Amino acid sequence: MPVAQATHGLGGLKDDPTKKSKPQELNVLIALIVIVAAFELVGRVFLGDSFLFNTRDNVDAIFNTARLQIIILQVSIVGIIALGVTQVIITGGIDLSSGSVVGATAMVTMSFAQTALVNGQPNPKAIFGDWAMDLPVLAPVLVGLGCGLFAGLINGALVAYTRIPPFIATLGMMVTARGFSRWWSNGNPISFPTESYGAIGKGMMPVLIFVALAVLFHLVLTQTKYGRHCYAIGSNEQAARMSGINVDRHKVLVFVIAGGLAALAAIVLSSKNLTAQAGMGVMYELDAIAMAVIGGVSLQGGRGSILGTVLGALIFGVIISGFTFLKLDAYYQEMVKGAIIVGAVVLDQWRQRGRSRG
Amino acid sequence: MKKTLIAGVVSLMGTTAMADGIGVSMALFDDNFLTVLRNGIQSHADANGISVQIEDAQNDVAKQLDQINNFIASGVDAIVVNPVDTSATQAMTDAAAAAGVPLVYVNRQPVNLDTLPDNQAFVASNEVDSGTLETIEVCRLLAEMGKTEAAAYVIMGELSNQAAVQRTKDIHDVIDGGKCAVKLTIIDEQTSNWRRDEAQNLMTNWLSTGTPFDAVIANNDESAIGAIQALKAAGVDMASVVVGGVDATQDALVAMQAGELDVTVFQNAAAQGSGALDAAVKLSKGEAVDRAVWVPFELVTPANIGDYLAKN
Repeated sequence: MPVAQATHGLGGLKDDPTKKSKPQELNVLIALIVIVAAFELVGRVFLGDSFLFNTRDNVDAIFNTARLQIIILQVSIVGIIALGVTQVIITGGIDLSSGSVVGATAMVTMSFAQTALVNGQPNPKAIFGDWAMDLPVLAPVLVGLGCGLFAGLINGALVAYTRIPPFIATLGMMVTARGFSRWWSNGNPISFPTESYGAIGKGMMPVLIFVALAVLFHLVLTQTKYGRHCYAIGSNEQAARMSGINVDRHKVLVFVIAGGLAALAAIVLSSKNLTAQAGMGVMYELDAIAMAVIGGVSLQGGRGSILGTVLGALIFGVIISGFTFLKLDAYYQEMVKGAIIVGAVVLDQWRQRGRSRG
Repeated sequence: MKKTLIAGVVSLMGTTAMADGIGVSMALFDDNFLTVLRNGIQSHADANGISVQIEDAQNDVAKQLDQINNFIASGVDAIVVNPVDTSATQAMTDAAAAAGVPLVYVNRQPVNLDTLPDNQAFVASNEVDSGTLETIEVCRLLAEMGKTEAAAYVIMGELSNQAAVQRTKDIHDVIDGGKCAVKLTIIDEQTSNWRRDEAQNLMTNWLSTGTPFDAVIANNDESAIGAIQALKAAGVDMASVVVGGVDATQDALVAMQAGELDVTVFQNAAAQGSGALDAAVKLSKGEAVDRAVWVPFELVTPANIGDYLAKN
């Protein structure tokens, strides 16, 4: 199957990625429905409660809206990262640095988002002097974006121009950026941002930002030259180069965008939590990669879509909420989560194989 | 190869910088709490004219053992160790015992505590107290609100961490031992890995079940703050829920001043540092020291918060 896919993509600039990946996303959607149904069934049988539907007499609603909200809210931030990771993987790369970039960006951003007075007292976590206090919200956002774009630029330049594998280049960034975030304030957390900064990640804002970015990058990947080049390079880099695509420059651009998205995630995360800590974002890169892979993005490159990744993120959210709903013992949760990740992909492979035979 | 290189560099540093005094090996320099502890050692040493050399084991068990051996080789009077891995302390104890150098473990309980030789000791706060103080105070506040029965959620720290396991066990012990002022039932207990963002999501998930509850007991302040943020986002009246944490961090004290966090517990890192140094000095003079020296945890509530604002 992968061979057929690769030949299909050979020099495949005319190849329409939307047509190719549609059934792929259908699989993910089915997996999502199966998992939701499983939680619903187990809940009804063992707890006498519903996972999706409202069972409270004092609330007038068909669905349990609070649960539906948290399912997507809790994956929105990693989901933003996953949008960038998806583009990197489709182009045939990998980005291990996004979690650390989130940590580093959060630390820097929060340093410029602090408020001078906390409960009438001077900010006990102040990083800089008075000049950096109570800045307009645009200042920390721009500084943060700059951080992420810069980290992405280094990643991209290393991959494109030194020709070291993306795994190694971004591994280096992963370690360096984590070190940087610890160094920035000697491991101290940075807290108490201005009210306007805190508004960025308040309530359902993370979901709104995630969905808006998902729609944007879905259009970018399906409708623009940039998107077609991503698939072309990921399917067959040699062919893409021959057909005149500036592969190196494109790779840099993809990593810069991924870095920018990681920075946006950091801004939303630190705003939502009203704090930045050196350990923020640990393992986010792997969760983001898992979301993409569950969503049908192939680690071989050239295959996958933003829609798939969004569905992958939803599967993640459903699993987390489902565990809490079932009151599954915390000691089992990660083992089950790991099994579900592998299971979802294996299932998808089977269906794919079945179709190519049949 | 890499290990011998590091050992070589460390031994070079050890022999040049150190003739006598106390050698200190910290598990990690860039940890917030351990930094307060390390500063406690340093300032206590400066105040009493004790010469100390503090090394960073960078969370590496092998590196820490090398540092201890280098302290021994350079003839220190005593060694203070903040162990990277509490199950890897036997080798350190053996090395120091063989050389006859006194050794004091600080903050993290060594696995071989019960079999430590006479010239070794352990200085820390007893985690049995932290969760107990927290839970009893939560219970007291619930009783004060006029409740006789109450339901609570428990947010645990990292499941592999001894403090998280102990603090959670403390909660159960208080309830089972009849030390709780109300009849407290635990609805569910889950982990947030000590983290605010995970605790926030966890609490929102709990809220979505619609189960009524009266208290949230967290293993640490960051998790308690995450829960508070989720409760506030859902429009829950903070006066109707008792929230407890442990650590008395700056963020937690601010939340307490705002009337959101009700209980936290202060672990005196600086006192642990100075206590460990005192024990090391005593042992080096041949004086006896208790095998385990406990620095008490202190309950922090809105009533006494003023005493703690400048401590962490």
